[in-house]
Amino acid sequence: MNVQKSAAAVKRCAADPVNDPRLGAARKRLAESRGKEDAIEGLREIVANFLGSEEMGLFRVDQKAGSFQVCWSFGIDLDNYDLPRALGRDGLRRVLGGECHIDFSARDRSSATARAQAFIPIRVANQTIAILAILRLLPQKLAFDKGDMELFKLLSEEAAQPLFGGHSNPQTVRPGMNA
Amino acid sequence: MSKKVLVVDDSKTALMMEREILARRTTYVCVTASDGQEAVEKAQLEHPDLVLMDVVMPRMNGFEACKLMRQQPGTREIPIVLVTTRGEESYMEAGFQSGCNDYITKPVDGAELVALLQSYLGE
Repeated sequence: MNVQKSAAAVKRCAADPVNDPRLGAARKRLAESRGKEDAIEGLREIVANFLGSEEMGLFRVDQKAGSFQVCWSFGIDLDNYDLPRALGRDGLRRVLGGECHIDFSARDRSSATARAQAFIPIRVANQTIAILAILRLLPQKLAFDKGDMELFKLLSEEAAQPLFGGHSNPQTVRPGMNA
Repeated sequence: MSKKVLVVDDSKTALMMEREILARRTTYVCVTASDGQEAVEKAQLEHPDLVLMDVVMPRMNGFEACKLMRQQPGTREIPIVLVTTRGEESYMEAGFQSGCNDYITKPVDGAELVALLQSYLGE
C-alpha cells in the first residue's frame, strides 16, 4: 500500500461520527427489514461487520416478572448466562434507564487480555424493552470507539420496531422495575 | 472515466456500507455481487478495476473465487482485496495463496478502505 498517497485520504476522511457511513447503512438495513427474522439477521450483520463481534445475544426485558429472557443469540450459548450478574447492580440500573453499559474489565480466559463487553438498551417510549449484549470482540478489534457509541445509540433508538414490531408497545410492561 | 469497483459480500449490511463509502468519498462506480460465483461472473462481464471481496460466503467463498479469477485471462490482472472478520494468520496466508493482492479485516474503517483503494486506483 502506498502510504504517502494514502495519508491525504486518511486525513480527509478522519473519523466523523455524523458522517459515519456505518450509521446510514445500519439505519437503512433496520428500516428495510422484512419481518423479525430478517431484522435479527440485520442486527447480527451490523454487530459483526461494524462493531467487530461474533458473540452476541438479545434479551427481552420482562418488567412485570423482573426477569430477562434470551430471545436470540449468535456465536455463544446463553442458556445459563446470568445477565444481571454480568451487568452488576449499577450496570443493570444504567441499561434499564436507557444508557449503554460497557464493561472494559471482562477478560478472555484464553488470552487473558481485556475484552470489552457492551450492553445496549433497546428502547421504546423511554423504556428498555430488550438488551443487546455484545459479549466478545474479534481479536483485531481492540476496543469500542466514539463511532461505536453513535452506533449503539442508533440501535438503542431504532432497533425495537423492526425487531419486535407490534410487540414493542411499552404499555404491556410495567415501569419502575427494581434494578 | 470513473474506475469501477466490484464489491462482493453476502451481507446486505456490509454491501450497503461499502457502497455508501464509495459513493460519499470516491468517484468510483460500484457494482455488487452477493457470493463468489456471482463475483466471478460479474468480473467477466463488468471488467472492474478492482474487486473488494468478502471471504465467508455461500455457494463459493472468496478464496475460491479469487483462485478462479486468477485462472481466467479476462480477470487475471484485476487487483483483489479480500475483506473478512477472520484475522487469523492461517486465513491471511490462505488468502494470499489464493492470489489476492491485499487482505483487510472487519470492521472496516472507511478512511483506511478509501486510502487502500486509492493506492490501487488513484484518486
